[in-house]
Amino acid sequence: MNRDSYAIALNSAMTEIQKAYPDINNSFIFTKTGTIINGNKETDQQTMNNVQEAFENLKEKAKAIGDLKRFKITGKNGNLTLSKINDMYLVLATSKNADKAHVYAITHVIIPTIIKTLESFDSTHLQSTSTQKKLVVDTLTGFFAGDSVQIDTEILTEWTKNSDPRARVKAAITREPDMQDGVSQVHIETFGGNAAVCKVKEIDDQNVKGKNMIRIPEKLCKSLEISKGDLVKVSPAV
Amino acid sequence: MLVKNSKTDDTENETEKLHETLQEIKDQEGIIGYILRGSKSASIDLKDPTKIIDYAVLSSTTFDTAQEMTEALQMGEIDTIIVESEETKLLSMTTNNHRLSIFMEKSVDHNKLYKRLK
Repeated sequence: MNRDSYAIALNSAMTEIQKAYPDINNSFIFTKTGTIINGNKETDQQTMNNVQEAFENLKEKAKAIGDLKRFKITGKNGNLTLSKINDMYLVLATSKNADKAHVYAITHVIIPTIIKTLESFDSTHLQSTSTQKKLVVDTLTGFFAGDSVQIDTEILTEWTKNSDPRARVKAAITREPDMQDGVSQVHIETFGGNAAVCKVKEIDDQNVKGKNMIRIPEKLCKSLEISKGDLVKVSPAV
Repeated sequence: MLVKNSKTDDTENETEKLHETLQEIKDQEGIIGYILRGSKSASIDLKDPTKIIDYAVLSSTTFDTAQEMTEALQMGEIDTIIVESEETKLLSMTTNNHRLSIFMEKSVDHNKLYKRLK
């Protein structure tokens, strides 16, 4: 799920919420790094920027009492609730007489559920498609075979970018680089139904690089009941 | 002949009363302390004096941030501001021309305090 589809999904949800709760005057979401994801039609970009920038300063100073979770203003003409939801902030400006229970439901139940659901969709999608690779087995023999399998650098780099759905969602939303650590273990599954989790390294033999291969120590090949030339399903171990 | 300015007297009485109320509030369970700032003076009473500067900066920033946000969203004059972290919260309000911030544990009912101070 890319940034646009994520934003569209959130935007649709916010639009529907606003239809159900007409007391909401303004609503938008921004990330902890300050990227504004979406806002309702009534809130222009400049207003969202002003609110977000004002909040950044407060967030910093509020460290004196801990990590800021909520900020509320009761004004003569309306109320503002700014809530931290996962790594995002939801801003809701409501009319003076908005139902407190409704606002609570939106900030504590509805939006967190939507965000969690979007993340789980992304997780399912990633697990089923982009992370799993079918690789050809090459056996590692000899005294220095060790207990790690070897995979192409390109595949490991790709997994590093994609293996954590939450990190990927955040990266997709914010367009910021995904800074998580590299993949250190992989899950290997044979078409015969055997499976194992083991350490992974980059392929060090130039002759095998770039050939969609996985080099597996002979001992592990035996326990997985596979041999050179077989196909196996490989994915990063979480 | 000494002519008393009754308006000034009223304000002074109200400020005195406010200080008394704050002293009572300060002794309540869960209250961490308060910062009261007028145009000419300020009083700070916190259980942990090492936090005075950080809390004073936070109090001031809270009012400024709320002002900027209410202007951006056209919410009118501010009644109360609440800043919440995992365990602590801050109630800020303007009373008797003073900017007041009360720091407390999250479990304290800030609405009760607000009603008392309004």
